[in-house]
Amino acid sequence: MKSNDKPLLKDVTDSLKNGEDMSRRNFAKKLLGIGALSSLAVSIVPEAALAWLDGGFAQREDLADAVKELVKTYSDTKPYPHKFNDALVKMHLRNLDFVVRKGIWKERAEHYVWTLGVVVDRHIKKGIEMFGKDAFLWGNFERTSCSYQLYEHIEIKDGERLVPCPFKPILDQIQKGMGTYQITWDDVHNKWCIPVWEGFAKSAGVGVKVEPGETCRIKVL
Amino acid sequence: MTQPERREFAKQTVKWGGAALSLLTVLNLPSVVLGAGPGMGNPLNTIKENPFLQRNDLQDALKSLYVTYDSTSPYPHKFNDVISKGQLECLEFIVSKGLDKEYAAHYVATMTPILLRVKQMVEKEGPDKALQGMFEGTTCSYQLMERIDVKQGERSFPCPYKQALENCKKWLPNRFVLEWKDVCSKLCIPTWTGFAKVIGVNIAVQPGETCIVKLA
Repeated sequence: MKSNDKPLLKDVTDSLKNGEDMSRRNFAKKLLGIGALSSLAVSIVPEAALAWLDGGFAQREDLADAVKELVKTYSDTKPYPHKFNDALVKMHLRNLDFVVRKGIWKERAEHYVWTLGVVVDRHIKKGIEMFGKDAFLWGNFERTSCSYQLYEHIEIKDGERLVPCPFKPILDQIQKGMGTYQITWDDVHNKWCIPVWEGFAKSAGVGVKVEPGETCRIKVL
Repeated sequence: MTQPERREFAKQTVKWGGAALSLLTVLNLPSVVLGAGPGMGNPLNTIKENPFLQRNDLQDALKSLYVTYDSTSPYPHKFNDVISKGQLECLEFIVSKGLDKEYAAHYVATMTPILLRVKQMVEKEGPDKALQGMFEGTTCSYQLMERIDVKQGERSFPCPYKQALENCKKWLPNRFVLEWKDVCSKLCIPTWTGFAKVIGVNIAVQPGETCIVKLA
């Protein structure tokens, strides 16, 4: 048994005793809608895939910086109300504007998929084998900081995720305030989000259908 | 239980009355009690004018913060986790294409309208406004750097990229050939010096785990 299996397997027996105990395994079970036997399989997903909502919050010693940053951000309401994802969205848009101008957006999307393909191979493929295709969306959205730090919220449905587009309001602000970007909102869908999600899906051996919009809908096929 | 005597009652009245008077005196010190220093506006409007307290989207922010800081393995995630990793991934790609100089120039060019506004502030209020505009005054910096130490003519902050690059190399093996010094020399220094040039000031950058940017 791997060392990281121990607490997970213990969770199985504990949660049988404690009912709604929000253990790591239980949380995964709730997300994936699986039963106790299937949950045993969660325990053999590599540790890093499960190291999320691991109960370490209360032990963190760096929360003061995080809270200050949050208060500073949400006190910053001019010329528009800033959100926690502001700088991240701007970084993605700026990078996209550059690669679109240079005509290398496709290579950039492929590079991004290749770079993070390690995670797809290591965790998401195994998740799909064990729990089905919804694990692809789980791994690409609520499970990764790349998404939960980007999307203000993620609505979880079986085989489907809905997210408010983080790019439209900021792109509108940039165009209104500076007018220095050449990309359009359509470029964001067609030259970033869709190629990246489709690339991850291809790597994971599933298909996805993306319906872009102010609320973007991503379905696994 | 004894009834208070008239003399005792008078004593208590004087004691508490005196305290009340003292309190009233304190209340007459607006800067202390009302928190209304020069330019602070009407203290009765403090709550409704506080921009943070007017936000109705804090629950999403708190949830993101909680999920981030409750993810402590394989490394403790921070609020700047994705922006630092995302920037490194893009820089890796850009450097591999030999486009880093154009990339930094593009960053400066797209920011120029804002930098010119900062330049106007510098002309009115002095060169420290340049650092304010580049660091604590913009989400692009204060959401990237965990904290920013503000001194007159100088800003220092923990490098957001060093640990992130180590994490990327460890957890995404064979995906990054970029070195930490490349991040300093191909992203941070050219963009900051480019910003400073548009604003009309000179800066000196001392890269390190704590990076220092000074007006030169």
